Amino acid sequence: MNSAINVLWEHPKYGKFVFALFWIFLILEGCTEPFSPEIPASEGLLVVDATITNELKNHQIFLSRSTQGEPEPLAESNAMVRIVDDNQQQFTFMEISPGTYESSIMFAAEPNRSYRLLITTSSGREYASTPLLLPQVTEIEDIYIERTTSQSGLNGVGIFVNSFDSTGNSIYYKYEYEETYRVIAPRWFPQELVITSENPLIVEEVGRVGQRVCYATQKSNNLILTNTSGVGEDRISDFNVRFLSNNNYIISHRYSILVKQFVLSRQVFEFYEKLQDFSGSESLFSESQPGFIVGNIAPQDGGNDQVVGIFDVSSVSEKRVFFNYSDFFPDEDLPPFAEDCPFKTRFAPEFGELASLIRQNLISFNSENEDRNPFANEGPWDVQPRVCGDCTALGTETIPDFWEE
Amino acid sequence: MRYLCFAFLIFLSIHWCEAQGDSKNMDLTFTDATRLEVLEKIEKSSGYRFYLVSQWLGQDRISGSYRNTSLAIILEDIFKDTVINYFILDNRTIILTRNTVVRDQLHPSFYEDTLTEREGPTEVNRPLSHVHFEEKQSEQGNIETVRIGKERKSIRSKTFTLSGYAREKATGKPIQNLAIIVKGGTLGVSTDNNGFYTIKLPVGVNLLQTQGIALETQEKRVIMYNNGQLDFSLGESVEQLDEVVVEVNRKRNVEKVVTGVVEIDIAEIKNIPLVLGERDILKTAITLPGISNAGEGAAGYNVRGGGTDQNLILLDNAVLYNPSHFFGIFSALNPFTTGGVTIYKGSIPAEYGGRLSSVFDITTKDANTQKFAGEASIGPVTSNLTLEMPIVKGKSGILLGGRSTYSNWILNSLDDESLQNSKASFFDIIAKYNDRIDEKNSISATAYYSRDAFSITSDSVFNYSNRLVSLKWGHRLNEKNSANVSLSNSEYGFGIDFEGDSNGNFDLGYRINETELKLNMLKLFGKSHRISYGLSSKLYLVDPGDIEPVGDQSIIEPLSLQREKGLESALFVSDNISVNKKLSFDIGLRYSLYFAMGESSQRIYEAGLPKSEGTLLEVQEFGNNEIIKTYGGPEGRLSGRYFLTPSFSVKASYNNTLQYIHTLSSNTTVSPLDTWKLSDINIEPQRANQVSLGLFKNLNDDAYELSLESYYKRSKNILDYKVGAQLLLNESIETEVLQGEGKAYGVELLLKKKDGRLNGWLGYTYSRSFIKLDSEFPEEQINNGEYFPANYDRPHDFSLVSNYKLTKRFSLSANFVYQTGRPFTFPIGTYFLDGAEYALFSERNKFRIPDFYRLDLSFNVEGNHKIKKFAHSFWNISVYNVLGRNNPFSVFFVTEDGSLQAYQSSIFAIPVPTITYNFRF
Repeated sequence: MNSAINVLWEHPKYGKFVFALFWIFLILEGCTEPFSPEIPASEGLLVVDATITNELKNHQIFLSRSTQGEPEPLAESNAMVRIVDDNQQQFTFMEISPGTYESSIMFAAEPNRSYRLLITTSSGREYASTPLLLPQVTEIEDIYIERTTSQSGLNGVGIFVNSFDSTGNSIYYKYEYEETYRVIAPRWFPQELVITSENPLIVEEVGRVGQRVCYATQKSNNLILTNTSGVGEDRISDFNVRFLSNNNYIISHRYSILVKQFVLSRQVFEFYEKLQDFSGSESLFSESQPGFIVGNIAPQDGGNDQVVGIFDVSSVSEKRVFFNYSDFFPDEDLPPFAEDCPFKTRFAPEFGELASLIRQNLISFNSENEDRNPFANEGPWDVQPRVCGDCTALGTETIPDFWEE
Repeated sequence: MRYLCFAFLIFLSIHWCEAQGDSKNMDLTFTDATRLEVLEKIEKSSGYRFYLVSQWLGQDRISGSYRNTSLAIILEDIFKDTVINYFILDNRTIILTRNTVVRDQLHPSFYEDTLTEREGPTEVNRPLSHVHFEEKQSEQGNIETVRIGKERKSIRSKTFTLSGYAREKATGKPIQNLAIIVKGGTLGVSTDNNGFYTIKLPVGVNLLQTQGIALETQEKRVIMYNNGQLDFSLGESVEQLDEVVVEVNRKRNVEKVVTGVVEIDIAEIKNIPLVLGERDILKTAITLPGISNAGEGAAGYNVRGGGTDQNLILLDNAVLYNPSHFFGIFSALNPFTTGGVTIYKGSIPAEYGGRLSSVFDITTKDANTQKFAGEASIGPVTSNLTLEMPIVKGKSGILLGGRSTYSNWILNSLDDESLQNSKASFFDIIAKYNDRIDEKNSISATAYYSRDAFSITSDSVFNYSNRLVSLKWGHRLNEKNSANVSLSNSEYGFGIDFEGDSNGNFDLGYRINETELKLNMLKLFGKSHRISYGLSSKLYLVDPGDIEPVGDQSIIEPLSLQREKGLESALFVSDNISVNKKLSFDIGLRYSLYFAMGESSQRIYEAGLPKSEGTLLEVQEFGNNEIIKTYGGPEGRLSGRYFLTPSFSVKASYNNTLQYIHTLSSNTTVSPLDTWKLSDINIEPQRANQVSLGLFKNLNDDAYELSLESYYKRSKNILDYKVGAQLLLNESIETEVLQGEGKAYGVELLLKKKDGRLNGWLGYTYSRSFIKLDSEFPEEQINNGEYFPANYDRPHDFSLVSNYKLTKRFSLSANFVYQTGRPFTFPIGTYFLDGAEYALFSERNKFRIPDFYRLDLSFNVEGNHKIKKFAHSFWNISVYNVLGRNNPFSVFFVTEDGSLQAYQSSIFAIPVPTITYNFRF
């Protein structure tokens, strides 16, 4: 039971604050607990995730169906997808993997031009979006990194954005980021264990050179929105797009973040805002009226089914920054590694088990088991969790093109 | 001469004139003698014999001196200040009467004679009550008989007016709402705020009975000979202190003409189990059929399928905008100063208007004008102190009440750092002055202030407050006409101070202020009309929101939404018509008129298209006090009652209402961030029509009251919101709201037992409430434009409130409540956008959260009632939610780490014990 009541108060224009209102002892033994509602079966709706921007590239559109709690999206395949501009120019999209459609040619959305998305599903249903104009491009002025404390009091660094639109037309902003960081396996040894023969089963200790330094990349998976409609000028200042705790291992050995700033149309912004609203933390005392968020895509064949998602034409600008842990925490210990890799985590499985672990790629070499105890069914090698000695468990060894030291 | 006298009233009246002429002249002197002594003297000197009952004459001493004066004049003088009449039968016999006779023998045929006489044209008196009298005497034994007025031969009226005051024996305080009924009949009246009553009674014997809470029941045999006064002085009834009774008047259940009225007196709810030690009259109200709320910890009330903004909550005539403390867990009414509440949920009297669903008329007690008194309580969360002080003894007094939490102190004394930074406190204070200037004039004044403040983390402080002032002058013009003038002002506001470390620090505020002047006249028109009429006018000023940057760093642009101004006026008249003993009507008509006034900029949108920035045509400017838009219309308030049998009545009513002010709330439950918005060019007033039909039956000599009421209600322009609407500080709010239709119906059953060791009530309601938001544009449709259950649609609602008296001092009470879970919009699936998983919501309110049920128990110990004791004490030990039911209050969904998790939250998930100590001095 939880005696703290989390109160969320959503302030429409000035951001979102999650506050915890605490009440004590028996007075208010409020209780928040997970709950599994019985969800009746229903037909999946078409889900459209389509953003085109002013970047010259092969744009991608994702089509799926809503599911009833499946862990993965249910791809919508074999649809015919195209974008038509007001000049009747058509960009066709081909399915490159289930549910992912890519434009056959590279193109960029152009200013003062409106675009429509048209979809025909494999079952012959037709859907179309309303026409959308490309909002004006507003360049990110500056990204900077600073030591800061999070709202919940954690120590770390924040990535902040400054931007300014002197015309005052941008107003609605959305951010995405892609962070890339170096990972160094903390207990790396120049040996590895390989199954050299299955029958008879032979495991050998061989030398290796790689798997020590890797690079991992992650994309943002939450909505980061802000707008300037309540402030005097169209200026984004010190907007925190990402907070990294100083206990997060990803900042240990140089970190880079690419921040993308999208300028959205009001309609698209409101759609994302509602999406964010409904998926945020809720409270005992306040809750918004949830419901279906109407996008801008509707059936064209007289059907009355609803389409989830929105077709978004937005302008984008991006900037990248790098930093090292020591830049902000000069004399401090590195953050703990992704997994606990102290000396004692090593163990010496007996032969059959060892082979099974190697096949599943779950362990890495640690040392030879010198004081081997056969009665405890110990094998000839001490091993450790794979991630402790093999960085490819977290990333790839290829140095990204943009990487700067 | 000490004979028992047989007075034959009919004969007396007929022979009156002739008898007067025959008396002879005599000399007589007496000093400081009782009337009996005087009569003996007359007997001696004149030879007349008086036939009388000596007790009638009393022990008053009179003096007089007469010379050659006719006996008639002497007797006239002697009996001037009494109710005694004399009748000179012949030269030897004078019969004294007190208008009726104590008699134990009478030939049955005599009744027939008298009754026949009564039908005749010369009828003056009505000895018919003889019948009644004798029956009652055999049952009841000693009942005081009071003769009212002196018989005058010239008076031919069939009814006379009896009026007077009811006061408490010990304190002399006027007793409000005391029911005075005529036993065995259908007549009855209740005292007003000053304890005054007036009732028309038929000539002859009437057996009056008083009925009030915690007061002794008095019966008086009143014999009406003329208009007159009778005051009641009532002592406390020890037995009745422990009762749980809802209605003051036994007969009111079946008798009252209007339907759907609930009355609760604070004294009646003394033994109901408490939450956190707070006695709460409004929480008690929701155990009665037709009144509910969204759940524990939800502020706001839903009456007969109406929204939470559709209730006019009045505290001493002034509107109380937010009647709750701490998100609705406590009500903002001080239980010690509250006198009672009358809730009109069906037929709203014509004098009230401006809200669709109900009127909560809450009155504050009058101060004790006889002696200093006080009451205090100590509970786990709050403490309360109330003092009553006479200013001019017997006339005026002041009542002061204050209540406060000590939760701040508790929070600050904790070790936990995050808790130390939190703050949650509330208080309310009230003062009422009442003055009975003279028999015709009385004034009262109330001032009230309540404030809640809480800080949530260290960077924000949130507060809201109610302030109200009301003045009332009651004036009795004459016996048939009286007037009330009241002036009231209320203000409600909230504010948020946000001071984080970012550049977004601000101060935000909202405020609504209203001032009302109301004149209410009452006219008694003959026996069968009671006409109430008047007018009222109310000025609203709303500051819908302003925001100020805090600190030099803040980039928040100061913004102040334009002030809204509105004037709501009404003329009303209603007549309570008694067609005959069985049939009565209450016909009311109200005409209300609303002006939205400048100074204002109003946005004009393209007609027939959804209101949005894209369809904005122009912004029209209006000057100060310029009329922007006028709305109005007639409102009918009709109800009727027909007695099928003396204890069984059927009632019906029709009611239509208009509402010019609306709550904006994006939450499914009421939150203190809700704002009130006036109707303007884009937002039309809400309208509703309700019809209801009810059957009312008293059983077992009024020991049980049974009622079954049903209603059907349609409403228009009900405000609802687009999905995810943003309402605070929104300059174009009309683009976020939708106005739709509402439909509600229900059946309410209530069984009440008021007396006896076991008492309480049992209520069951089946009701539905739906809303339809339709438009030709999909973005303005909810659920494809079809009717869907409202947030507060809870079909089954069962309440049991019971109290069992173990002894005079100890009692046990129990409450049990069951309600269908309220509708909720569930996610019926999930979808992925941009790599994150989101909930796909069902149609609005398609599913329900689990049902609600709760059992509370309490044990009450009443201190002994020795008169000499300094204070009377009262202990209450309660356990709230004995079953520990985890009643979900809300269900919500959170996307955590890219996947969706559902949560339910509840407020009191475990049994909550409370001990409260109250004392009165």
